[in-house]
Amino acid sequence: MSQLQVNDLHVDFGGLRAVDGLSFSVAEGEILCLLGPNGAGKSTTLDLICGKTQPTGGSIRFEGTEISQLLEFRRARLGIGRKFQVPSVYKELTVAENLSVARSRRPGILHALTRFALSDGHAAAPILERIGLEAKANELAGNLSHGETQWLEIAMLIAQDSRLILMDEPTAGMTIEETGRTAEIFRSLSESHTLIVVEHDMSFVRTVADRIVVMNRGSMLAEGTIEEIETNEDVKTAYLGH
Amino acid sequence: MTTRLFYDLVALVIFALVIVLGVPALMGFDGFELNTFARYLALGIASLALALSWGGAGLLNLGQAATFGMGSYAMAMHLKLKASGDGLPDFMGWNNVPELPLIWVPFHSLGFTLLAGLLVPAFVGGLIAMFMFRARIAGVFVAIITLAFLVAFQLVVIEEQGITGGQNGLTGLAPLNVLGWSVDTYGVGFYYLVAGCLVTAITIGLYLTHSKFGLILRAIREDADRTRFLGYNVANYQTVIFCISAALAGWAGMLYTLVLEFASPTYMSVSFSLAIVIWCAVGGRDSVLAAAIGAILVNLLEGRLSDIFVEGWNLMLGVIFVFVVMFMPRGLNGLVGDAWRFIGGRLQKERTISTRPHLQPEPVKSGQEN
Repeated sequence: MSQLQVNDLHVDFGGLRAVDGLSFSVAEGEILCLLGPNGAGKSTTLDLICGKTQPTGGSIRFEGTEISQLLEFRRARLGIGRKFQVPSVYKELTVAENLSVARSRRPGILHALTRFALSDGHAAAPILERIGLEAKANELAGNLSHGETQWLEIAMLIAQDSRLILMDEPTAGMTIEETGRTAEIFRSLSESHTLIVVEHDMSFVRTVADRIVVMNRGSMLAEGTIEEIETNEDVKTAYLGH
Repeated sequence: MTTRLFYDLVALVIFALVIVLGVPALMGFDGFELNTFARYLALGIASLALALSWGGAGLLNLGQAATFGMGSYAMAMHLKLKASGDGLPDFMGWNNVPELPLIWVPFHSLGFTLLAGLLVPAFVGGLIAMFMFRARIAGVFVAIITLAFLVAFQLVVIEEQGITGGQNGLTGLAPLNVLGWSVDTYGVGFYYLVAGCLVTAITIGLYLTHSKFGLILRAIREDADRTRFLGYNVANYQTVIFCISAALAGWAGMLYTLVLEFASPTYMSVSFSLAIVIWCAVGGRDSVLAAAIGAILVNLLEGRLSDIFVEGWNLMLGVIFVFVVMFMPRGLNGLVGDAWRFIGGRLQKERTISTRPHLQPEPVKSGQEN
């Protein structure tokens, strides 16, 4: 059964239909890549799933629950995590504190009131090791380099441990080597997580994608494996404009 | 235990020793002098309460004086009822109030008064917070709404003369009687009561800032949206810290009434509320201990200078505030922290050089060879 089902989704931004009758589904453990030209509505689709934007019509079902009217934090508690295009770590907190905030399996106030800030440090250590930031655990996140910030954000996603992870251009600004390492982490993540990734880097998409959805003007243009997409005539027309 | 927690605890112990032993010794255990100092300590609690919401969560509450006033009036009414015996408080008679208004009846009991002094401010603060934070109001708008509430609240207290004593406030209070101990506000015992309250309040504040709750609030302060997407109910976290801060302000208000032996609507004035902000900024809003010290220092200064410069004192206070905002945005706390790191950095440098002599160049020898 599919984990996420998007059905006839619409959103209007004052006359502009950013997403227009979009339907697709994602199976558990799958990596789905969203492709499409600029303004196709890829980021907006992620916004709609995680609750940043409210849809004007249609339904989003996550593991059988209708979520399109729920507040953001309720969706996050159901198991939907989001990585934004701009790296959004907490610059005024240390690396270890960032991970502690991200570890939100129990987000209640009473639980937070009865724990010290870094009481779950032992759980963060293997994650820090995996991304190579263990020596900088007590460094302020604002002092990290751009690449390290990206890693920290991926580490926060691992710590959050959402069942469905939404990523907006995770490799933007990364070197080829870093992109390769990210692809590796994504493949290992998909053993226990479902991923929806918006990405422009085609070599990255080739390595990680199980399935691809191509969007154009807010609706689905094509769907299939990488080979199917690369030979699809409609896709070529949409991208090249003839 | 993290190093930061260790430093904070050391600072707390030093601070506690100074106000419990140092200050009374310095003043020769003189009750009158200590009463003045107890006033500063009570205001320290109000300042640290603001540090929790302003420094810890980025919510600038300009209505802090309103919750402070609620605590102060709760305590004052209890003592007024004690002073009036079986009769009505005198000002009610002057205002033709036939019998004690229902809301004041339970204040005959000290237990109820103490609870109300904490819970009424917490409830009112929580109510305002719930409306604000559910609607995702943030930044300067929090300051405007809380300020507006303060002004309206003070107006109501002044207007409802028959219930609150109006512009005159509540005067002619009986001494507090706790389990047979009649509290003499000019005694050393009373000073220790207030000092104990302040140390307890700082300990509560330190616990909150070092808990995961405090960490989540700092995360919310920096990026509320991001924190929502991690599954935290941001509005609830903000509401709870607002309630705690309001309760602490109420506590400070109760002590303040005990020190001064009256309650007045000037405790709920805008200028008093802004003064709390200044103390908090001067000490450093990131730390509850620093905020309390800020309140004590500024009031100590005011106590000395306002006698000499009666008219000019407020101007000086304003200049201090502008100076602090411009040149030390993290207050005295930030200044001390920077100095500490500077000294620490130099010491470390010296140590690495002296323990690794083989790394030092040997210019004399090579100079001779050339």
